[in-house]
Amino acid sequence: MFEVRQDEPDYAFIPDASTPKKNKYGKRISLTDDHAELAGQSLNVNGDASIGDNPNRYKQHGFHFTADNCIACHACEAACSEKNQLPAHISFRSVGYLEGGSYPAYKRMNISMACNHCDDPVCLKGCPTRAYTKFAEYGAVLQDPDICFGCGYCTWVCPYNAPQLDPVEGQVSKCNMCVDRLEVGLKPACAAACLGGALDFGIIEAIPENREQAATHIPGFPDTSITNPNIRFQQNKTLPKEMTRPDTAPIRYQQDEQGGGEYKVKPGLRKHKAMQWSLSKLRSREDPLVLFTLISQTVLGAFLILLLGPLFGLEILTQSASPVLVGVTLVCLFLLQCFALFISTMHLGKPHRFYRAFNNLRYSPVSREVASLSVFFGLFAAYIIFINGWIPGLHAGFSSGMGVTFGLFAMIAGLIFIYAMQNIYRIKARPYWDHWQVLTSFYGSVISLGAIAVGLFFAPALFVIGEPVLPLLSILSALIVIGLSIEAMGLYAHAKELNQQGGEGAAAHQVQSSQFGKTYYARNIVFLIAIQMMALLAVVEFSAAINLLLWLLTVVFILAAATVGRALFYVLVIPTTMPGAFFWKNEGFQEHARDSGLAEMQQVGVLAKTDYHHEHLERAKKEIIADWQAIKEQGFLVSLKLFKSEVQQRWQDARGSR
Amino acid sequence: MLFGRAKKNPIILPTQDVVEWRYTTCGYCSTGCSIEVGLNKKGEAVTGRGVGGAEVNQGKLCIKGIFEHELFQSEGRGTVPLMREKIHQPYQETFWDKALDKTASEIQRIQKKYGRDSFAIVSTGQLLTEEFYTLGKLTRGVIGTNNYDGNTTLCMASAVSGYKRSFGSDGPPGCYEDFEHTDCLIAFGSNLPEQHPIIYWRMREAREKRQFPLIVVDPRVTMLAQFADMHLTITPGTDVVLLNSLAYVILEEGLEDRAYIEAHTSGFADFYETVKHYDPVSASRICGIDEDTIRNVARLYAKANAAMSIWTMGINQSTHGSDGVVGINSLNLITGNIGKPGGTSLSITGQCNAMGTREWSSCSGLPGYRALENAEHRDEIAKFWGIDPEFFPKKRGLAQTDIFPAIETGQIKGLWLVATNPMTSMPNTARIRKTFERLEFLVVQDAYRDVETTEYANVFLPAGLWAEKTGVMTNTERRVNLVRNVIDPPADAKADLWIFNQMAKRFKQAEKIKFPEKAADVFEEMKSLSKGRFLDMSGMDYDKIEAARGIQWPMPEGDESGHARVYSDGKYNHPDGKAKLIPLNFIDNNETPDEDYPFWLNSGRVVEHFHTRTRTGKIGNQNKYSPTPYMEMNPDAAKELGIEHMTYARLTSRRGDATVLVQCTHRVPHNMVFIPFHFHECVNRVSLGLLDPYSRQPAFKQCAVHIEVITEQDAAAIVNNAARTF
Repeated sequence: MFEVRQDEPDYAFIPDASTPKKNKYGKRISLTDDHAELAGQSLNVNGDASIGDNPNRYKQHGFHFTADNCIACHACEAACSEKNQLPAHISFRSVGYLEGGSYPAYKRMNISMACNHCDDPVCLKGCPTRAYTKFAEYGAVLQDPDICFGCGYCTWVCPYNAPQLDPVEGQVSKCNMCVDRLEVGLKPACAAACLGGALDFGIIEAIPENREQAATHIPGFPDTSITNPNIRFQQNKTLPKEMTRPDTAPIRYQQDEQGGGEYKVKPGLRKHKAMQWSLSKLRSREDPLVLFTLISQTVLGAFLILLLGPLFGLEILTQSASPVLVGVTLVCLFLLQCFALFISTMHLGKPHRFYRAFNNLRYSPVSREVASLSVFFGLFAAYIIFINGWIPGLHAGFSSGMGVTFGLFAMIAGLIFIYAMQNIYRIKARPYWDHWQVLTSFYGSVISLGAIAVGLFFAPALFVIGEPVLPLLSILSALIVIGLSIEAMGLYAHAKELNQQGGEGAAAHQVQSSQFGKTYYARNIVFLIAIQMMALLAVVEFSAAINLLLWLLTVVFILAAATVGRALFYVLVIPTTMPGAFFWKNEGFQEHARDSGLAEMQQVGVLAKTDYHHEHLERAKKEIIADWQAIKEQGFLVSLKLFKSEVQQRWQDARGSR
Repeated sequence: MLFGRAKKNPIILPTQDVVEWRYTTCGYCSTGCSIEVGLNKKGEAVTGRGVGGAEVNQGKLCIKGIFEHELFQSEGRGTVPLMREKIHQPYQETFWDKALDKTASEIQRIQKKYGRDSFAIVSTGQLLTEEFYTLGKLTRGVIGTNNYDGNTTLCMASAVSGYKRSFGSDGPPGCYEDFEHTDCLIAFGSNLPEQHPIIYWRMREAREKRQFPLIVVDPRVTMLAQFADMHLTITPGTDVVLLNSLAYVILEEGLEDRAYIEAHTSGFADFYETVKHYDPVSASRICGIDEDTIRNVARLYAKANAAMSIWTMGINQSTHGSDGVVGINSLNLITGNIGKPGGTSLSITGQCNAMGTREWSSCSGLPGYRALENAEHRDEIAKFWGIDPEFFPKKRGLAQTDIFPAIETGQIKGLWLVATNPMTSMPNTARIRKTFERLEFLVVQDAYRDVETTEYANVFLPAGLWAEKTGVMTNTERRVNLVRNVIDPPADAKADLWIFNQMAKRFKQAEKIKFPEKAADVFEEMKSLSKGRFLDMSGMDYDKIEAARGIQWPMPEGDESGHARVYSDGKYNHPDGKAKLIPLNFIDNNETPDEDYPFWLNSGRVVEHFHTRTRTGKIGNQNKYSPTPYMEMNPDAAKELGIEHMTYARLTSRRGDATVLVQCTHRVPHNMVFIPFHFHECVNRVSLGLLDPYSRQPAFKQCAVHIEVITEQDAAAIVNNAARTF
């Protein structure tokens, strides 16, 4: 048990309080009945089997933040980092601020924010590995960094930037509500350390002494409907009508006169940047996902065209018509998919724990994507084997029939896979992504990139061996026109809606049209020209050589534009996170510290590099060797049994338990 | 497991496995917070926490205190003495004997050749009181130079001087508990949330119980100014005008405490005569605060049952610093607000033991608030130490800020720096560099090998820091608190007390004098020297201090506790027992903005750093909140100059130039910029630092600069980074 000192000051203890039965979102504050199955169990903090004597153990707890009082002294952040022994580049709690007005009628409002232990923890639902648990004890949402395999999806879905992905460790960790302190009746370290009379903690909806408000929202705080966060605010001092952030996020907050005085997120005004290319800024941690999504879409598209093409008169694509070409194409597509899988796995902090991706089929879009991809992958492999008649001794007709059957199932799985993939990005905390444009973009790419892949394999080959190219090219060009048009339609609607909606999405769009303006418009122009070019090639026949040449030339542009477009998709997103400060949690400064070399000094708190793959692989190697040794020591049979029970456990988990 | 896995995972939370907690007192600012440092089985200091039952901080710590235990393991520590003949040569590691012999012989050589005062010693507010006392004994009683001072001249000299002028002695009259009794608080140039977060907490807790009016005088919209009931955005350097005008209104409207003035003050007639010239209308034209506001504040303050003033560098670091302090004292004297609960004139001190150095280091006189100018005092100390009183000079020598110019012009040839870093802290860095080049011998004694001043040193003596040593410190409210040895200094580094004692052994004069080895024995000497004096602490000992979590002097032998306030009986330390009301004439001698240099340059502190970042710059979890210097600039002014948020700009002044990252904020007015002073090669490259005539404290906060846009941002970043390597 956590040590309570003899001279522990009164303010450090959580006061008992009577609260309503239900919280502001209508959820019960009591999370379990005293005699229920969940009650009376130890939290097993560091193997301590005792049970805390906090009388309100099964009530939802939360932070109370008096924004009127915070002085940004960093005591809460420091107390947290000290207790959790965090390195400088990570913090579970961060203080940022908004400011507004003009001298001397200037106001700064500081916001201290960690995890809000939400009623509806989107991190828990999003996590493919089930590293998260919401406990009946205090309603704490805890995350186990050992289970986490470092995909970072929870950091995407959380609107408050609570989960912290440590690029060095390749895993996420977060605020643990100091449950060890709660067990003995003490407030979390941060709340006990507060010097400004701002941060407090208690049973949710219990208003602390000398406070009068328990509002769910303050300016700068994201929409509470996303997660129903367990934090309450007091903020009664008048703020300027417009507030800005000290960090470089292109966001400001404007009071909505009509909407009851609430502050709305608007695109920032600070930087009126002229249009730039910013090509070097297109690279990000998500580079592997740029390739993974594009390749997966290409592979599926090409496969579908090969499978269905013959139904639309493209006999040339059948295995019987072009056995070698079809075989080579399919194998290449398969290898390409393997490559995509490989880089997306290596993108994890712990690639050797990839199998944990299946742990949360019930809730996690990532688990579902991986599962549907796996099914597609398997069926696709089977399709390739059977359609090519590669199983010796099997009757050719039977094999081809099997191939078509597997192909049809692979088609269904593949289409589901792409749907699951787009679902990953439909995140409320990332308004720039949360639009049907992702759907049109991904399916559009399936068609256009699939057609391009088929064209690249078949057209030059046909041309060389003197077969007619034009019919194939014409249909593929038409498909490309359709694919690109679907995508372009989505993009157009997306841009239009972002501007109307305002918020982080509009801010992202502003960055898109300024900092990346030249890149963005170049991509759009390429798209439009490519659509016309392909439309031309679909109907006009110059000569095989000229058509092919023009087609290939256009394809180069389309591929470049698609890659740039997908990269933009990842780098432009602005999450609904809390404001940062001038240095800490300011992406602009982090970038500057890295670019200028300031980050080389470890105490700057910015990691000098963004890529720690080498370190992750080294650890993976070590862990795999250790696992292997353990398996050898306990015997393969025992290991197999353990594995079986583990799988059963996972299955049970996947079916859910509330 | 309400929602999530079917099988509960065990919860793993980091723990430190502390086996022992050791009591100590924070070594950063002068708030004087009690800290317990936790040691693990291996005896490593692994964590720290505020002492729950300590009156001062009641379990709380600020960010610096929370991570203070990490200092023991911090980078850049000095672990072995270093030496070199010439400053262009590389350092060689050496033994203590050699380093000390060399230093002692250089001191003797220089003194023999150029005179006793040609070797100067500049110390700090960071040592423990026993160490200050010993250094004072070594300097005044053995080495015998009169050019001996502390870096407290940069922060507290004006408060000391003002207290002495008004009350006849140094020593802040009030305490933190006064917040709980006051009915009106004025903070002059004091930003508690940033500089003294724990004092802020005490003030805010008191104010949450009783909403007394808070008035903040500050040209910048600090968090405290923002939370104040009234924020007086004063024109820099004009506090004396405001104070005179407040007195004008009080006296004009008959709101003064006539009985108190008559019973306990002298000089009222002259005071009144001067104040008469500062009617609020005339005053408003100079200090920038309108008539109504001045009248309102004066009335509020005078009518309050108990009213208190606090101040920090906004007052002290000014050409009228000492006058500002006197003005605040006078405001409290004419309203009868000294020495009563909630009524005080409280200087919020800077360094952890600025008070200790003021009381016991003999910098400005002799130990125990004794003066060199006083023959009786000289005799007392000479007798106690066992030396000839004639060995003492009869007048105080140069202050720190006059020692450097004396080096520049060749009167001083050798310098010993103890735990201070003038390369970063002194105004006009270029001039300081030039000054150091003129030295024949420089010895730097510091806990950190990488303190910037080692660039010019011949000898480096690695010292222990904070709780690697034992001794006491005195805080802002005269509370003597204990620093227990938590861990030993790293490798070959030694406690400062040991270094002073070893140095003494190398001088013939020291043979007559006792230099106790143990801090506790030094404390006994100080106790007997304090008997019957204003700062009597003869009733204290280490165990009593620890048990009480600090004791406020005076505590004479036989008393069970200290005293929260002094002057409660209205008896002051001037010979007539009265406080002086001193007339203050305002002379505008600041460098003010003009066409060529259109911006005021203001400087100050940030909460995560202390002084020149020698310590705080090493701790990532502090340093990350401001890892590189920045300049607050009004966005409208920035726009006019084409300067963007988060880009580097160039500052120039009549002294030099600096490169700094711009943060656009309306915290500062259109014609002012603010830069934290902590950073090497930044604000002090351009600052002026005119000296206060009484305290010799530099006016860091008032000078004029020109600002221009930098087109070569990458080059600017390289320039900035180069200065961050220390």
